Amino acid sequence: MGQQVETRKINRRLFLKRTGWVAAGLTVAAYTSYPVVHSTLPALPTFDAPNTQDGVLWLQAMADGRVRFFCPRMEMGQGAGVGLSQVVAEELNIDQADIECILPDTDQVPPFQMTVGSQSIAHFFDPVSWGAAQLREALRRLAAKKSDLPADEIKDGRAGFVLPDGTLLGYGALVPDTGVIVGDDQLLPDDALPRLALKSVKNHKAIGQDWRHHELEAIVTGQMTYARDVQVPDMAFGAVIYPPGFEAKLLSADTNKARAIPGIIGVEINKGDDFVGLVAEHPFVLETAIEALNAEWQIDETLDQGQIDARLDVQKFRSDDDFAHTLLSSGDLGTGQRHAKHRVTGRYDTPFAAHAAIEPRSGVVWVKEDKIEVWCSTQDPYFVQNRVAKVLGREAEDVVVHTHRIGGGFGGRVPCQASEAAARLSATFNRPVRVQWDREDEFSNNYFQPKFSHYIEAGVTSDGKISHWDHDFVSSSILTGTVPGLIGKAIDMATPDDGTIRGIVPQYDMTNRRIRYAAVRTPVPINAWRGLGSAPNAFAIESMMDELALKAGIDPFQFRLQNLPPSSDRLANVLREVAEISDWGRPTPPDTGRGLACAVYKDETAAAVVVDIQIDYTARAVRVTRAWCAQDCGLVLNPHQVESQIMGNIIWGSSMSLKEQITIAAGRVDEDNFHMYEPLRHGSSPEVTVSLVVPSNMAPSAVGEAALPPVPAAIANAVFAATGRRNRHLPMTYESTFDETG
Amino acid sequence: MQLLINGNPITVPEELQDVTLLDFLRDFAGLTGTKYGCGIGLCGACTVHLDGEATRSCQTYVSDLDDARVTTIEGLAQTFSGEGLHPVQQAWIAEGVPQCGYCQAGQIMTASALLRRVPDPTDEEIREEMSGNLCRCGTYGRISQAIARVAQEA
Ligand code: FES
Ligand code: FES
Repeated sequence: MGQQVETRKINRRLFLKRTGWVAAGLTVAAYTSYPVVHSTLPALPTFDAPNTQDGVLWLQAMADGRVRFFCPRMEMGQGAGVGLSQVVAEELNIDQADIECILPDTDQVPPFQMTVGSQSIAHFFDPVSWGAAQLREALRRLAAKKSDLPADEIKDGRAGFVLPDGTLLGYGALVPDTGVIVGDDQLLPDDALPRLALKSVKNHKAIGQDWRHHELEAIVTGQMTYARDVQVPDMAFGAVIYPPGFEAKLLSADTNKARAIPGIIGVEINKGDDFVGLVAEHPFVLETAIEALNAEWQIDETLDQGQIDARLDVQKFRSDDDFAHTLLSSGDLGTGQRHAKHRVTGRYDTPFAAHAAIEPRSGVVWVKEDKIEVWCSTQDPYFVQNRVAKVLGREAEDVVVHTHRIGGGFGGRVPCQASEAAARLSATFNRPVRVQWDREDEFSNNYFQPKFSHYIEAGVTSDGKISHWDHDFVSSSILTGTVPGLIGKAIDMATPDDGTIRGIVPQYDMTNRRIRYAAVRTPVPINAWRGLGSAPNAFAIESMMDELALKAGIDPFQFRLQNLPPSSDRLANVLREVAEISDWGRPTPPDTGRGLACAVYKDETAAAVVVDIQIDYTARAVRVTRAWCAQDCGLVLNPHQVESQIMGNIIWGSSMSLKEQITIAAGRVDEDNFHMYEPLRHGSSPEVTVSLVVPSNMAPSAVGEAALPPVPAAIANAVFAATGRRNRHLPMTYESTFDETG
Repeated sequence: MQLLINGNPITVPEELQDVTLLDFLRDFAGLTGTKYGCGIGLCGACTVHLDGEATRSCQTYVSDLDDARVTTIEGLAQTFSGEGLHPVQQAWIAEGVPQCGYCQAGQIMTASALLRRVPDPTDEEIREEMSGNLCRCGTYGRISQAIARVAQEA
């Protein structure tokens, strides 16, 4: 053992439970650090980033020469499984067909960080590379033993090793039936561990290739099992009536009528926690039975959008001078204002928004005496494990979550409330129970992106520099959004929410600046939504940058470049690149306009976006027709996958800019299906061109949300270029462009 | 009453005649490749073919089906005379279209019905025809490319 290597003790036993594969005789250490919730707070999914050494936990060499990879990331289309498989392949000199990539259940690997924040590659590249390299070296030692040669004479070969006489010794010939897992006592110290994935890109064989995700064939043939598709023998079918408004209270329900319906197994009602559920032998009677229950609720109907808007009004906080948090303050605003040749103020607002993933969530839960099984899809199976345990008053260790590919995550699929309800019904009725949310449940019972209300006062000097930047904003805590009541308020006072303030500090040079923030909690549930605060914040910042540039008579592209400090060279690079590929500056036809914006996501990934928009006066519509994105996300494991993520972000950004808004009316969420909340459709979506700036020496960084932040401002800037009208509120519609702003 | 689903006759129990084709497929026939997304005809995730025409199965009742032949994503490849997957499925893999993949069965059923009717659709026709199928992951650009690929290779 090398002295630098500190390996956490982990439960190797977890590996051994796998069906059809048993690795006997390995050292088993106790894994004790798993946090179990004891407080009354809902468990917050707060697992830390992985340690490099965790990598060996996820890999096994199998007797057939292939490698099993328990990819410690949930899959929702971001393709982490394929990108990280490429890292495994690189270290072990194998192909995609040599890897069995598995979405792990909670009893197959120790807990890992939940799948959010575009961290799958950024945080897991290094541990996976390290673990795969350790496995390769363990196999090399087996090859040395087998061939009776010193390990350093055994060279790397395809899916195995080459002996000095040129013989290829495949992994299959080395691995015993029990497989190979690297034990804690077999780890090489870092300086003795060659890392093929860290070599220069030109030597890479797997990294940088456009591998296709191994599940594509299952997806296009309808064979992929999503959570909604799970069937368990003897499964009963449950349904739950959720409170039809914020903090609604259950008054009554007619259980007798529902119970009398043939096929109904039973009804469970608990006024104490407003639970109304029932279980049936088959799903076709559920709708009728739910109606027969005739549940009545008490709702406070006074809460409406106007009240919420008034509470999240940045102007009100400014007049009261009531910002709990000064995020940044340097120089002197007064001095800046005196040096300003032009001054601009702008107020920018963004609405509540929903995830609207196309798959509504679903869970099947089977509560047995010794064990509880859950089948669902979630961005954090260990969180669901905890929550289900808590609902049942059992230990988390008793719960196994079988994970499935998620039909769209976007931050909305951390909890699985359907599984929590199914757990309850399964415990009561002693059967495996399925609970599926419908579209209305998704809109009414999940959490949202918070509203943001920004106010910026800024200026430009006579030489085109930013003289000062005075930015105040109000929104709600995201990461701790579900923490209730007074504890939540206390958290808000103590610290600004990292998710809400994401991307709030502009990259530009500005000596005199101040950024202040106030947090407001309303009854509207808030939590993660793609990119968290980064897109609403960039909307304000990058809209103001355009307003300043135009006021000063400087081209918006030039204005950004001349205000970026040398330390922001990656951002400057992508700006130049996007200007190049979009032919920035080219005159645009009438009724069209072009806009630009850029942002750095989480201090790691730089993205710049140009869009063309068109005003269709006949159809009374604003359309994004073309988009270009240049992005620098360091080492690119799979260009196709990264490009797909960028395209997805541009569509998402166009949709949030032009279409999406959740409104509160009469104490509830007004929108309940796609007729009221309609994401962007194919015919209205832009054609997207992507350019990846690929430096060879940078570590891979965030991709899944990185191209999103610049999109809304780029569109607002383009609409201004086309119409001379400035949209400072999302969503930007034809009506808002021509009636309410200007 | 009987339905012909992917070439197999399936008897509809009396009490299930007024359920939607979507529920029937998923919860009775065990064909879960067809997806639920909205239940009101607005997302296209539930698209199947009725006599070769793209149809929203959430808006179709079993009792309305008469003699229609139902094809679901599981049976699409059989409707193609060549080897292996249907050309649209092949193109979807070649272009790496799916992200989360949940909407893609519906997208493929709509695209394959379009290509049967219009073997070489214009970009405008593709955009219009595919607009009934929502994709929250934003795979629209790759969908257009995959359809164009099928048209070119035909
Ligand atoms: S489920 Fe049928 S169109 Fe959405
Ligand atoms: S691929 Fe995810 S909804 Fe279309």
